[in-house]
Amino acid sequence: MRVLIVEDDPLVGDAVRRALESHGYAVDLVASAEAAGSALQAESFDLAVVDIGLPRASGLQLVRAQRRRGAMMPVLILTARDGLDDRVTALDLGADDYLTKPFQVPELVARCRALIRRANALSSTQLAFGVLRLDLARREVSMDAKAIDLTHREWSILECLILNAGRIVSKERLKSAVVNWSGDLTPNAIEVYVSRLRAKLVGAANIRAVRGMGYRIDAHEK
Amino acid sequence: MRMKSDRVPSVRKRLLTLLLLPAVAILVAGTLGDYFTVIAPFREAYDQALIDTAIALAGRVVSRSDGRPTFFLPPDAAAILRRDKIDSIYFRVSGPGGSLIYGDADLPELPGTGANPVRGSVTYRGAPIRLVSYRTLAGSALVTISVGETLQKRNRAQTAVLTTAVAVDAAELGLILLLIWLGVRLALAPLGNVAAQIYRRSARDLAPLPIERVPIEIRGVVEALNRLFARVTRASAEQRRFLESAAHQLRTPLTGIQAQIELLIDDEAEPSRQERLRLILDGARRLSHTTHQLLALARSDEAATLDRKFEEVDLAAVVATVVNERITSAFATGIDFGADMDPAKISGVPWLLAEAVGNLADNALTYTPAGGRVTVRCGHGPAPFLLVSDTGSGIAPGDRERVLDRFYRGGNARGDGSGLGLAIVQEVAQLHGATLAIDAGAGGEGTIVKLQFPDPEAGTAV
Repeated sequence: MRVLIVEDDPLVGDAVRRALESHGYAVDLVASAEAAGSALQAESFDLAVVDIGLPRASGLQLVRAQRRRGAMMPVLILTARDGLDDRVTALDLGADDYLTKPFQVPELVARCRALIRRANALSSTQLAFGVLRLDLARREVSMDAKAIDLTHREWSILECLILNAGRIVSKERLKSAVVNWSGDLTPNAIEVYVSRLRAKLVGAANIRAVRGMGYRIDAHEK
Repeated sequence: MRMKSDRVPSVRKRLLTLLLLPAVAILVAGTLGDYFTVIAPFREAYDQALIDTAIALAGRVVSRSDGRPTFFLPPDAAAILRRDKIDSIYFRVSGPGGSLIYGDADLPELPGTGANPVRGSVTYRGAPIRLVSYRTLAGSALVTISVGETLQKRNRAQTAVLTTAVAVDAAELGLILLLIWLGVRLALAPLGNVAAQIYRRSARDLAPLPIERVPIEIRGVVEALNRLFARVTRASAEQRRFLESAAHQLRTPLTGIQAQIELLIDDEAEPSRQERLRLILDGARRLSHTTHQLLALARSDEAATLDRKFEEVDLAAVVATVVNERITSAFATGIDFGADMDPAKISGVPWLLAEAVGNLADNALTYTPAGGRVTVRCGHGPAPFLLVSDTGSGIAPGDRERVLDRFYRGGNARGDGSGLGLAIVQEVAQLHGATLAIDAGAGGEGTIVKLQFPDPEAGTAV
């Protein structure tokens, strides 16, 4: 997996590079939007981590230019400003996620992983989530090469949770993911499916309920 | 001290005083003038009637052969002369030396002056009368004919004239007062409009006031206000730019330092060095946190001067963001962190609200032990509200006021707090017209912090 980091501050740039490298990513670090433009023209990347506050052309301009070119790679924006304006603008311009400075290294790595996973789900049928391997086309999931037997509804819930890993997914969202496969769902049905899914995924992933909000899945990393 | 209302200068009061008092004086003088102008001809006419009577009576004086004057009036004529429904008529004819020839013996006569006849007012039989004395010669003898009349008719006429004049002039006065009052009111209406326009606008609205329709007299005032608005807007924009670059300049190196230390800790095998690196990391995080809080506080101050950033905010979305951002650490400490969201829309600054609710949630998570519960609730009933409740150690009642002070930390303060969290919440609450209440939870356990927002429908705080 190749990641381009666009960050003009050497201290931050170096830290992000080291963090991603230690998780097995191949990393290129550039310090300006112009250099990033050239790098993106020459090579292809699985993810770009872009600081907004670059000298001359800003990170937002870079994202807009890349999206105009039709580049599909996921983009994680780093911003030192509070205020939602920049974040909303960033997402409107085509960034996929944002992280406010100062961030913690594990959070950065988790966001990068989630973005790459989601992008891969669009281009490939294979998806890795911790020790789980998902085949999106055949709707199959396995752990350590051992297939886990899921019903259609359980699979739909797992797919929805994994594609939104790291975020809380509301019951309504899960319901609409399942509803293609059924007629009516009782209000407690989602809870039933989730608890069945939990039992089948012991040792692979943890699905936790967040009171009043929904569910979040976290992988057990190897 | 409250200023007495009559001490406050009022243009309207001044105008009314300056116009009404002279108008009243002029009209009263006019009424008096009218009265005297009209009453003079009346008096003249009545006097003339008396004179005519005296002259007619003079025609009846005959000079006898012995040269002494005599007077004859047929009884019918005398009766006619004295007959008057209203007044009593008196007359007397006297010869030389005042000797009575005919008539009322005790009727006085006016002494001869240059004028003939002589007129005057005297008292006769206990009542004021008008008297005319006319002197004529009968042969060679001087005869004086005096005719007097009580004042009933004159008084009645006078009263009638006075009543009419006062009534007409009073009506005129009333009309003029009304016109002045209306005129002043209408003339000052544009002033009131400008005042109302300024009063109605939000305290944070710094758009210039339209100058075209403003009366020329107060245009200077409005222009000065507009210059002030422009200056505040400029200053606020400069402050915002300053804060934005300060945020960037402070946060970027702090991010780098923190991230580098985190990576060093992972790489470091030596436990004692790892421990020291952790201490450095804690210090860096505290510094980051305080920096963030200070910037948030400064930016909420800045937002308080402008309302162009206010927009419709769904508190449920704010709650969802806050819970999402903190669920990982809540999972890590084993706290049951959840939400209870009903739709609640307010007008506000989204990121500041997220900042405030985030601070409340952070406090709750810090002071709640593993196995405890933290809930962020929002809803509408009867007005939008937002509250964070926890089952933690609680805030002593005596501390509940003071925890809102900047940099104050409560008696059982914990964690790496800066003492700014609740001050920010308070600031954001005030900015949104919300009230902040701190209470103990159910059964006196834990803490409930509630933000009660004004009802957007009613426009007032509940």
